[in-house]
Amino acid sequence: MIDERIYEMFREIGRDLYIQNMISSHGGNLSIRLGDRVVIKRRGAMLGQLKPHDLIETGLEKNDSGVALASTELLAHRTIYMNTPALAICHCHPRTAIAFSLSRDEIVPIDNEASYLLKKVPVVTEEFASGTPQMANKVAEVLKNYKIIMLRGHGSFATGQTLDEAFFWSSTLEEACQIMLFAKQINEPFIEYRKMSEAYNKF
Amino acid sequence: MNGWNGKILEIDLCALTFKSYPLNAEMAHQFIGGRGLGARLLWEWVGPEVDPLSADNVLIFTNGPLTGTGYQTSNRFSVSTKSPLTRTILDANSGGFWGMQFKKTGYDVMIIRGKAEKPVWIEIKEDEVAFHDARELWGLGVFAVSQKLGQDNNKRNVLCIGPAGENLSCIASIMNDRERSLARGGTGAVMGSKNLKAIVVEGKHRPEIEDNERFKFLLYETRKLLAASPLTSQALPEFGTVVLMNIMNNVGALATRNHQQTQFEGAEAISGEELTEKYLVRNASCWACPIGCTRISKTDKIVGEGPEFETTWAFGAQCGVDDLAAIIEANSLCNDLGLDTISTGSTIACAMEMSEKGYLDSDLRFGRADLLARCVEEMAYRRGLGAELADGSLRLATKYGHPELSMSVKGMEMPAYDPRGLQGQGLLYATSNRGGCHMRGNMLGLEVLGIPKLIDRFQVQGKSSFVILHQNSNAAIDSLVICKFTNMGVADEYFARVLSAVTGIQYATGDMIKAGERVWNLERLYNIRQGFTAKDDILPPRLLTEAPLEGPSKGWVSHLEPMLKEYYRTRGWDENGVPTPKKLTELGLANL
Repeated sequence: MIDERIYEMFREIGRDLYIQNMISSHGGNLSIRLGDRVVIKRRGAMLGQLKPHDLIETGLEKNDSGVALASTELLAHRTIYMNTPALAICHCHPRTAIAFSLSRDEIVPIDNEASYLLKKVPVVTEEFASGTPQMANKVAEVLKNYKIIMLRGHGSFATGQTLDEAFFWSSTLEEACQIMLFAKQINEPFIEYRKMSEAYNKF
Repeated sequence: MNGWNGKILEIDLCALTFKSYPLNAEMAHQFIGGRGLGARLLWEWVGPEVDPLSADNVLIFTNGPLTGTGYQTSNRFSVSTKSPLTRTILDANSGGFWGMQFKKTGYDVMIIRGKAEKPVWIEIKEDEVAFHDARELWGLGVFAVSQKLGQDNNKRNVLCIGPAGENLSCIASIMNDRERSLARGGTGAVMGSKNLKAIVVEGKHRPEIEDNERFKFLLYETRKLLAASPLTSQALPEFGTVVLMNIMNNVGALATRNHQQTQFEGAEAISGEELTEKYLVRNASCWACPIGCTRISKTDKIVGEGPEFETTWAFGAQCGVDDLAAIIEANSLCNDLGLDTISTGSTIACAMEMSEKGYLDSDLRFGRADLLARCVEEMAYRRGLGAELADGSLRLATKYGHPELSMSVKGMEMPAYDPRGLQGQGLLYATSNRGGCHMRGNMLGLEVLGIPKLIDRFQVQGKSSFVILHQNSNAAIDSLVICKFTNMGVADEYFARVLSAVTGIQYATGDMIKAGERVWNLERLYNIRQGFTAKDDILPPRLLTEAPLEGPSKGWVSHLEPMLKEYYRTRGWDENGVPTPKKLTELGLANL
């Protein structure tokens, strides 16, 4: 039985992801690690309209009947949990960040907030970008060193100790990418205001 | 070996000799330094048969790869030994300047074994170790010894014990830089049992940094992060750690009168705000620390460092005392006599409850601020009632047939955070390898302060994951060795990067946390070898059965049992709390 407080957390963050245009109606997923268990969104459920039965609990390493109902990205979530200190994962499809991921190997924000919080976000390429062990391993490997990464053309994976922390990194990235887009559209010379910013891409 | 000096100093007090030899590089990479390296060496040096106060116990002083580099709060060092208070593995770490100076002598580790025939003090300079007669110092307080031996923050640093350590009090601490403390678990008694009064260090060696450019960048970014966090840039410098008094009281998790209540009506009078307004002379900092949480306080009788939150709580709310001047003076006395303030205050609180209930014949009563100083002094010198209190609350309460009144875990007194109002904290105390301790992964950040984000403090399901992550993370931070307050503004990912920049060995955040997990499991194995079992992962019965009658935690007890079961599974341990072979193999501990 999943604690009602856990459901509330999923419901609120799922709704905010949808409202903020960071997922389509049925896209994205959220999960948390509870000891040796994982709670993840049900496959096909709408993150923006989660019901209590949309949360599936299953083993972190061991399969049980829960896997039949869990999100297609369960493997990626499990692999990330087993390879990093993450206790929560937010996977979403932030549109501006996806657009930038199509042409860059890393996203280095220019706004103050994201420079401060993220420094840089690596972009990972994987041909089979959904639900495969190759993708799961690649994403988990890069997340050992970064709290949020982009899967090229697909979306972001962010980790945290809590769901709202993982959501925070996700929305920070999207905001940063929107600012970069606006700056490109304005098309005026960039005035560097950050000391030692040249080191961000080595972070 | 950038970051590490690569050298161990071994001192034999029986023969008054020393030798030095290389630090095993692989061991250093795996256990990092500080607490981790200390645990690994203690495993080899001190077996289950060794009495903690015998000559066969050792004191292992360690610094870490970041110590002395100038990274924020890289001043700390650690001591590992077998605890005379709990008989568990023990490490304690301390700030100030001594750790940085010890690193400058060119050593990473100092192992002290044996027992001197007569009291001695040791002076260590680069490649020079001198043994001096300490008979004239024996019996003196910490302040006098520090002065006589030339304590000078940036040049020459003194570490010593006070009379409490000489008298083998099981709650005696080792003090450094006059008023900093390797406080918990009876480290001072181990030093006293060796007839070792003081260790003075003086050096010029500078630690090498592999990637200076990256290091400087991370130094700069850390400075920004610490400046941006209101906790590290405003609350701690302005009010010190005592800023937590009102916060904990407001959430109903401030243990009061030996944990009989969870709120203290006198909290405001002993708060950080009150301390700043009425007693603060100025704040001060350890070496390379931009936070500056140290208080220099003044009353009619004393001027000195402190008190910290835990001390103010232990002599304050826990004893039902709202006289801040009396608390400041008790703290100063503990520092001079060399006593752990948490255990001292909480033991007095236990005696107060026993006396009020008629189990102990004494004039101690909750609220008797006037008795604190006398009590502390008697404990250090084992005089009168103090002789009964000098070895902590569990021995006292057990002697009089009421062990349930000792608010301790594995014999170590718990600090201020009441587990009935912070469910995760209860699990943390119960599973802490050195006993009731908040420095093994404090849940305060998550359950109260919202660092990194607030979680429901009463939630039970899933709490083990948070506790384990923070235990592992704190074990890593204790191995680096840096101050945990840095972690209030700076995430683990920065520490891993700094460690990589300093050593040239690439540690991902996960690698660093894994090293912490390795340390935690090794400590667990040590305690198991010592005879500890799952039955020792327990809280005092009061916290499991007596719910507060009022306040924000009204009606709550600690739901330890379900959390503990989940904890063992999540740790990869069996139902008896023993690490499985699979887990040990994963951590590279299978050969132990």
